[in-house]
Amino acid sequence: MIPLPRVVTAGLVLIAGFVFLLLYGPLFVAIFFSFFRLERNEVQWDSFSFSAYEALTHNRGILDALMNTLVVGGSAVALSLVFGTLLAFRYHARRSTANELLQLIIFLPFLMPPIITGLSLLIFFRQTDVDRSLLTVVIGHTVFVLALVYRTVLARLQALSRSLAEASLDLGASHFQTFVYVLLPNLATALVSAAILAFALSFDETLITLLVTGTKSTLPMRLWAMMRLGFTPDINALVTLLLAGSTVLSLLALQFVRLPKPR
Amino acid sequence: MPYRPRIGRSSTDAAGELASARYLMTGLAYGLPILFILLPLALFLLQSFFYVENGQIIQTITVRNYVRFFADPIFVPVFVRTCLLCLGVAVITVVLGYPVAYLLASLEGRLKYTMTLVFVIPLLMSYIIKIYAIRSLLGSNGFLNRILTTLGLIDQPLTFLIFNLQAVMLTLSVILLPFAILPIFVALEKIPRNILEASADLGASSWQSFRDVILPLSLQGIAIGASFTFVLALGDFVTPQMVGGQSGFTFGRIIYSQFGLAFNWPFGSALSVLMLIVVLVVIIWTGRIVRPRYQP
Repeated sequence: MIPLPRVVTAGLVLIAGFVFLLLYGPLFVAIFFSFFRLERNEVQWDSFSFSAYEALTHNRGILDALMNTLVVGGSAVALSLVFGTLLAFRYHARRSTANELLQLIIFLPFLMPPIITGLSLLIFFRQTDVDRSLLTVVIGHTVFVLALVYRTVLARLQALSRSLAEASLDLGASHFQTFVYVLLPNLATALVSAAILAFALSFDETLITLLVTGTKSTLPMRLWAMMRLGFTPDINALVTLLLAGSTVLSLLALQFVRLPKPR
Repeated sequence: MPYRPRIGRSSTDAAGELASARYLMTGLAYGLPILFILLPLALFLLQSFFYVENGQIIQTITVRNYVRFFADPIFVPVFVRTCLLCLGVAVITVVLGYPVAYLLASLEGRLKYTMTLVFVIPLLMSYIIKIYAIRSLLGSNGFLNRILTTLGLIDQPLTFLIFNLQAVMLTLSVILLPFAILPIFVALEKIPRNILEASADLGASSWQSFRDVILPLSLQGIAIGASFTFVLALGDFVTPQMVGGQSGFTFGRIIYSQFGLAFNWPFGSALSVLMLIVVLVVIIWTGRIVRPRYQP
């Protein structure tokens, strides 16, 4: 970038600091109050404890919700990986109007507000007499993260040299062998980072879930229900754990994205 | 083991198997997007032309939902107000996000990597947690009021901080800020450095370089960031519910209520179709800026 006058640079740093406060300030406050208590508007500095975290381990509602979230996330990741890869291969193999249209359809749930995706699925399930359950949530999440997986795999495929697959086929490998032994290893890091990102999105998905879920709730929904009642140390503890989890996940995903390309 | 008749394998059989495998793959590839994306959308559009009578959805094509939207004095103002609110969110996020993205783009090496992470990671942080945290800050019993009271700046808790449309706009802006920072950062990174050198060599001041070179070249990032935040803000119904209170009624909330308490799915669908039209306009507008037509 161009060299800037000192005053301007200082101004930029100031704004960035302000934005940092906006983004992280509220979170730090929540983390802080998962350890300390507040009485009569004063922080009790000697009240440091892990009791809020201990209380979490006895909270069946939260543990069930966590389990549901993991099941939904795992299923949605598996499904979106299979279909995303399949669709990326198709698009990469042949440029056709049908494939362009298919790509547009895949991108729709990512471009539209989640409320539209959720409502369409809700109406669809009702018209086809499918009861709302965790299965419908899995479908909603799969549709939502499909574009991300598809895009990541396609980008990697397009970066690969076509001669790799051609050489494998020329040397007598079947299409299946070429896929398993040549293409898949080259796609591995892309698949892993797509899986992590897709899981993170699914873990956090709230708007679609609210519309298509039945009686079982995922973690964000559980949190929402708890928050409407008020602020308790348990929520702050849960919030802290989730923040730690999502930070680790995103660092992990970025690690894979930044991995040097295989020679 | 199921019984399978044994037939001698020939090369035509193998070819037939390959073909049927290919048909299966094609079926799967088309199946999921068509069944779970396209068909639901079609049903949703269709639903907006049905109507409700005595708690029953009557499946007859009519435009009465759309007529009701324009005839009723409640809906159009809320619709316009929500669009303006989301426009506000888009402006705030771009105005605050641009300097941050610029700073990130001008950094070097490890510092750049770390700082970019710091401003991008919130993208993956739980959305509901951010709302919760901001709400606990702004509330009349919240942290901000406590600090101000302790400092002696106020004696009554400030009540205008939460449960109104401004609170909704602020909260959405904070939540969506990274969505504006990232595309602007990417656009700035794509500007070839030799163009900037050329600009400086030709005697442009840093302000001129910025105004005539950098800003036009980063316009794509601004457009993507603004439309991202606008669309996401428009469709949100949880944030307005959490920090908007009674007076912070937005279009998203009205739609959601049609599928809950009000139980008027066709009308809710019609309202969503109108929202979708606004979204489409925004996306097409962005597409035009991002992919300008080159004149030969």
